[in-house]
Amino acid sequence: MLTIWTVVRFLHVLGAALWVGGQLTVSLVVLPLARRGLDAERRGSVLTAIGRRFGLLTVAFFLPVQIGTGIALAWRRGVTWESLLVPGYGRILAAKLALFAVVMLAAALHGAASSRGYPVLARVMAVTSLVTSVGVVALATALPVT
Amino acid sequence: MTSTDVRLEPPPRQPLPGGPPRRSSWHARANAVVLVWLALALAAAALGDPLALPRWLPVHLLLLGAVTNAAVTWSEHFAVALLRLPPPRPRWSGLRLAVLNTGVTAVLAGAVGGVPAVAVGGAVLVVGVAVGHTAVLAVRSRSALHGRFSYLARWYICSGAALAVGAALGAVLVSGSLPQVWQERLLAAHVHANLLGWVGLAVLGTLFTLWPTVLRTRIVEGTSAWARRSLPLAAVGLVGAVGALTAGIRWAAVVGLALYAAAAVLALVPLLRTARQRRPHSGASWTVAAGTGWFAIILAADVAVVATHPAHAVADALGTLLPPVLVGFVGQVLLGSLMFLLPVVLGGGPATVKRGTALVERWWLPRLIAVNAAVPLTVLPVPPWAETSAWALLLAGLTVSVALLAAAFLRSRGLTWHTPSPAVVGTALGAALSAVAIGVAGSGLGPATETEPVAATGGTRTVEVSLGNMTIDPGVVSVDIGEELVLRVRNDDVQAHDLYLDNGARTPMLDPGQSAVLEVGVVTGPMEGWCTVMGHRAAGMDMRVETGEGSDAGTDSAADGSVSGAESAHLDLSGEMSPDWRPYDAVLEPAPGGTEHEVEIRVEETELEVAPGVRQSMWTFNGSVPGPVLRGRVGDVFTVTFVNDGTMGHGIDFHAGSLAPDEPMRTIRPGERLTYRFRAEMAGAWLYHCSTAPMLQHLGNGMYGAVVVDPPDLEPVDREYLLVQGELYLGEPGGAEQVARMDAGEPDAWVFNGTAAGYDHAPLEAAAGERVRIWAVAAGPTSGTSLHVVGARFDTVYKEGAYRLRPGDDGGAQALDLAPAQGGFVETVFPEPGTYPFVDHDFRHGENGAHGLFEVTE
Ligand SMILES: [Cu+2]
Repeated sequence: MLTIWTVVRFLHVLGAALWVGGQLTVSLVVLPLARRGLDAERRGSVLTAIGRRFGLLTVAFFLPVQIGTGIALAWRRGVTWESLLVPGYGRILAAKLALFAVVMLAAALHGAASSRGYPVLARVMAVTSLVTSVGVVALATALPVT
Repeated sequence: MTSTDVRLEPPPRQPLPGGPPRRSSWHARANAVVLVWLALALAAAALGDPLALPRWLPVHLLLLGAVTNAAVTWSEHFAVALLRLPPPRPRWSGLRLAVLNTGVTAVLAGAVGGVPAVAVGGAVLVVGVAVGHTAVLAVRSRSALHGRFSYLARWYICSGAALAVGAALGAVLVSGSLPQVWQERLLAAHVHANLLGWVGLAVLGTLFTLWPTVLRTRIVEGTSAWARRSLPLAAVGLVGAVGALTAGIRWAAVVGLALYAAAAVLALVPLLRTARQRRPHSGASWTVAAGTGWFAIILAADVAVVATHPAHAVADALGTLLPPVLVGFVGQVLLGSLMFLLPVVLGGGPATVKRGTALVERWWLPRLIAVNAAVPLTVLPVPPWAETSAWALLLAGLTVSVALLAAAFLRSRGLTWHTPSPAVVGTALGAALSAVAIGVAGSGLGPATETEPVAATGGTRTVEVSLGNMTIDPGVVSVDIGEELVLRVRNDDVQAHDLYLDNGARTPMLDPGQSAVLEVGVVTGPMEGWCTVMGHRAAGMDMRVETGEGSDAGTDSAADGSVSGAESAHLDLSGEMSPDWRPYDAVLEPAPGGTEHEVEIRVEETELEVAPGVRQSMWTFNGSVPGPVLRGRVGDVFTVTFVNDGTMGHGIDFHAGSLAPDEPMRTIRPGERLTYRFRAEMAGAWLYHCSTAPMLQHLGNGMYGAVVVDPPDLEPVDREYLLVQGELYLGEPGGAEQVARMDAGEPDAWVFNGTAAGYDHAPLEAAAGERVRIWAVAAGPTSGTSLHVVGARFDTVYKEGAYRLRPGDDGGAQALDLAPAQGGFVETVFPEPGTYPFVDHDFRHGENGAHGLFEVTE
């Protein structure tokens, strides 16, 4: 049945799809093509622009939506701080939240590193963030549906 | 650098013809196998807890996998190089390597998978390779017996012989066919044969030449003399120690170990003199030196442990020494040697060897410091965070070492080692983080998380679980689906256990007396649980979580009566006792003379006929229920030697004595004994029983008996009988089902002297007109008695130390009432011949086994 909660869940899933899917698309499709097809200078400017746009998207849309809908969904399910430690739903959710925090930390480090001229660290952090966010999705799918 | 750097063989004076054997590619491959086992050992150590791997797995991956391969490969290599033997054919070496690793794999797989036959088969292969390898070495080195390095072959032969013994002991252990005490003793012998023999002798023998080589100096004068002198001492000491540990003779084991330690000190003399000649300077030399230092520390600690523990407790006590032994000694000697040897065997000319050495020695000082600082922290009493950090440091240091060695190997195979690309590093980092998170998320989860019973009941079921000697109690826990299960686990045994449930929930390894709360999580289906200590599951340490549905759910309450009724219904008390059944002799002999009585009481697990045609495994004192009767007079001293021949801890408690229970009533382990001395200062019919918790179970399974202390004015009578009344609980002793009926106080039958209705089938005798005294003790554990003889009256009642009635008094008595643990006697004179039943006049008891007959003749 369609309720307001369907919409909330839809937004939550959509945000994740946009962010993780977007990053995957950039890494698996855009970057290889850019590396092959563009000269170094244009590649740099294009990739920087993509990075900026993605950062903006993250801060302005993705984070508020994910956190907001996430809290709402948790509230609806009756999640409490104690229940986060209980094996099962609570512990999966806690692990997912912790891993998500790692993703955001890595993404922030990526942004900081690339703007300050540490390309290797930036790239390591970008890939870490991407792979870890796939882990977050995996944990999300492991959460029992209610 | 000159070419001396590449030589395995030390002396510049006596260059061996042809330089290193031209089998470097073969040796490189053999060493790659060692590296693979090392990596597996590290992985098992790091992932052991989350994956619920048994603790011995990393131990055996290291010792049986890495060390055994290294020792076989290198002992042959050194023997060939230094004794100038012709190199063996690669086909033979390859076959040996294949068989050895098949055997090792089978041992590990069989032991992990709980298929002892496979593990035993693997151990047979390992023994076969050890014996074959040693025999070949012995035969081939005979031609070289007078050379400068001839001692080397002898050390290797002794080492190989020790492996054969150690692996054979291991095979016996893993088959799990021995009683617990023997199992523990053999474990201690197995550990010593392998660590001090197979590993220790091979290491010491190799170091005589390897150490100067690693230091790039001459072999000091007299090395071969020290080597020759110390070996016999070490061998004799080791044989003595292993034999004495097997036989359980503590002092002999200490003497043996002291001899071995003395031999090790002798062997260290030339090594120290070599080090004085040239100080250690490389990563390899410092690592080998540190490993040898740990060997000395371990030997001292081992002597102390063996001197202070009985043989069957040695293996357990040595458990805390595992990190120094495995990492400090074995790991460092192995890694240090490989740091030197691997670049050499990988070959490729001086420049390549130098490059390889530089690679494997990279960051050697931080690695050395990390490992040697972390090892003590894993052993000493430090806060948990410090211990965890130490383990992380240890694993990190070792992992870097193994990774560098592997990199050197790969590089020699043409696989160059690039700095990994950011993408690879990022992927690895992300995957590792995700794996940790998924591991945390999955912890405490049932396997079937997709069903959604999570919120179904919301109830939480908390169950107390006791880990005992090869038992988990209760053996069955019934839970409703959807209920959350929490187990409060307590280790009530004298050795360490843990509890692992097959949904991944597990307790840490619990030392004796420790407890842990195990959150099993929401139960979605039946589960199995067991102790992961090797062999304990096979020995019976398993439990089941059953999901009660419908009728099962009510077992605790209403259904129980009918279950018990059904059980009792198939006890046919009027049936025939088996022809070989002998009743417990109820005739009470008069007190023996003298004021000192010595008695030996042994705990035995005995199958007894407890009702007509019904045999039941009982926990007994001296093989009978009740145990032996002790009789004396007021003031007598009883010296009881109590021996535990059972398979779990027991103690003993004499109500007739008065003393502080702490020491004499303590629980002793299987194989132990204690002396219990008490003075019987008060008259009465006393109970004695097992003093080990849960006493309900120990008494309910037959661990009780009587002490009769005559009142000073006790008149002689024509006949005296003793009846100890108890309860009978059928089924697996200590099993959940049996214990549930004990808890409910619902025995299957009541017994006089251990057999339900036994004296219906073997009536007690008396003659008309005789005065008969019937002593009685109510052993319970839960019900007392109202002892009555049909057709007779008692003119004497003595209960709990006092006469209630004496001949000549006006009144008479019809029953002797005793609460659990009370005792007394009654006297009667049978008026005329006939059959007089005696019963517990509580007819639930009387008609369910507490029944017998007096056959009174003319
Ligand atoms: Cu007992």
